[in-house]
Amino acid sequence: MTPTVDERLASLIRSLSQVVLPHLPPEASLAQEQVHLALGRLHILRAQLDAAPAFEAEEAQDAAQHSRDLLTLGGPGAAPLADAVAAAADQDVREQVRTIHAGIDRYIRAAWSGGEPAHRAAVSKLVVAYEHDRVQKDRQWCAPFGFDSL
Amino acid sequence: MTVATDLEPLHRRILDRRRTSHDPEPYRAALISEATDMLAGFFASEVPGATVSGVRRVGGGASKEQFIFTLTDGGHSEAYLLRMDPRLAITATDRQREYDLLTAMNGVVPVPETAWIDPRAEHFPQPAAIMRVVRGVTKPSNSKVKVSGLGTWLGPDFRDRLKGQFLDHLVAIHAYDWRARPVPGFDVPDADPKQAARWIFNYWRELMEIDQGVQRPIESLAQQWLAANLPDTTDMVMIHGDYRTGNYLFDEDTCEITALLDWELARIGDFHEDLAWVLMRLFGTFDESGLFRASDLFEREEFIAAYQARSGRTVDRTVLHFYEVLSSWKCYIICAANALAAARSQHNHQDVLLTFLAGAAPVFADDLVNLLGHGAGQ
Repeated sequence: MTPTVDERLASLIRSLSQVVLPHLPPEASLAQEQVHLALGRLHILRAQLDAAPAFEAEEAQDAAQHSRDLLTLGGPGAAPLADAVAAAADQDVREQVRTIHAGIDRYIRAAWSGGEPAHRAAVSKLVVAYEHDRVQKDRQWCAPFGFDSL
Repeated sequence: MTVATDLEPLHRRILDRRRTSHDPEPYRAALISEATDMLAGFFASEVPGATVSGVRRVGGGASKEQFIFTLTDGGHSEAYLLRMDPRLAITATDRQREYDLLTAMNGVVPVPETAWIDPRAEHFPQPAAIMRVVRGVTKPSNSKVKVSGLGTWLGPDFRDRLKGQFLDHLVAIHAYDWRARPVPGFDVPDADPKQAARWIFNYWRELMEIDQGVQRPIESLAQQWLAANLPDTTDMVMIHGDYRTGNYLFDEDTCEITALLDWELARIGDFHEDLAWVLMRLFGTFDESGLFRASDLFEREEFIAAYQARSGRTVDRTVLHFYEVLSSWKCYIICAANALAAARSQHNHQDVLLTFLAGAAPVFADDLVNLLGHGAGQ
């Protein structure tokens, strides 16, 4: 690909940092702040660009596996969750995650509105265990934002 | 659409406004010249003969448009702060309510002195309030830039001199006699013992739905757990709602806290709600020895013990746990729903910052994992 995405991002960074920013007057505090934020975001995008497709694919795979694990517990929301997993199969990876997470949300709601206490406890344990691992991947991915103390 | 839920009446109006906010025109930050014209127009009717000068923008926040300016009237000049909503803010709040509470709190704790308000946007393009400027900084001058004051590092000297004041002011807010001195717009959740917790839970649950927040299993679980574990509130107090380092001004020379800021999330509720917010991981830091300090001031148990000693209240660990789950869940919604909705709508002037803040969502999801790892099936 010519120019590469990396070259295009690099030129945006150079433009903002070396042309736009030095010409902003001191009193343009919001504009300066926004340019600094935009530059930070562009640097992160540039660093994550190559890894993004694999990250998103793994996120979708994890969500689908978690759904299958939940379905082994049965319960009142199992059928709609199975439908959601089936519907997600034909979608792109981002839409897959949204569809499956919406299905899991309905499944958890059903467990609390119509499930037995033992079923709720089993669902909770599985969700917490899954998110314990999944969240660490998300934290690593978002670490360059600077919020996390990882 | 969600059926009518039990909510504080003002929050019902705020949510209805947010649900129906579909103005197609993108929002643009006001230019200095436009802000100057707005202020001149406002004071032409409010203080005829006064002149506005030196208008400049105040940066750093994630929510409002803020400008400092000088008003000169009869040879006397004074600095003021204009605080104006964007069309859609990261947090859905009400300027009149914040203004009335600041007025009530004057003399109770250090707050910016209120001056004028335009609650229905009759003079300004959005609801706005004007306050007298207070001296002070939100972080040490040599501190690194932190988005919205999150994780501000104060350092040992400032820490030792600020922590007592920080605690005293929180205790004073909680001691405010809202029964004897009711504040307009603040309703009391006293229909049943769980109403205080239910109101705040319902408000954020509906915000998550309206803003079509990013779902993930731990958020779904937290929502069900909170609904099933609403605690009784036996000791209702005025709570600040966003009490943390970054939301107060202090004088770097005297180390005096000169103003408590950002009262827009205040309400009458359970004091544990403020304590849980103070203890949030993202609002704290790890000090020189690697020890976590809430708001870079207190160790966790030190804070709880000091609050109990100074307030005379007893902290109920079960109730505190509920409000810690609620705080993490609220912060997740702010990042993964409110910030993204405000950016998507183009009704805010800080899209880049708002989508940046969404990157904090995994931290709050991790907090929920840790908190719900204990007894989530209940």
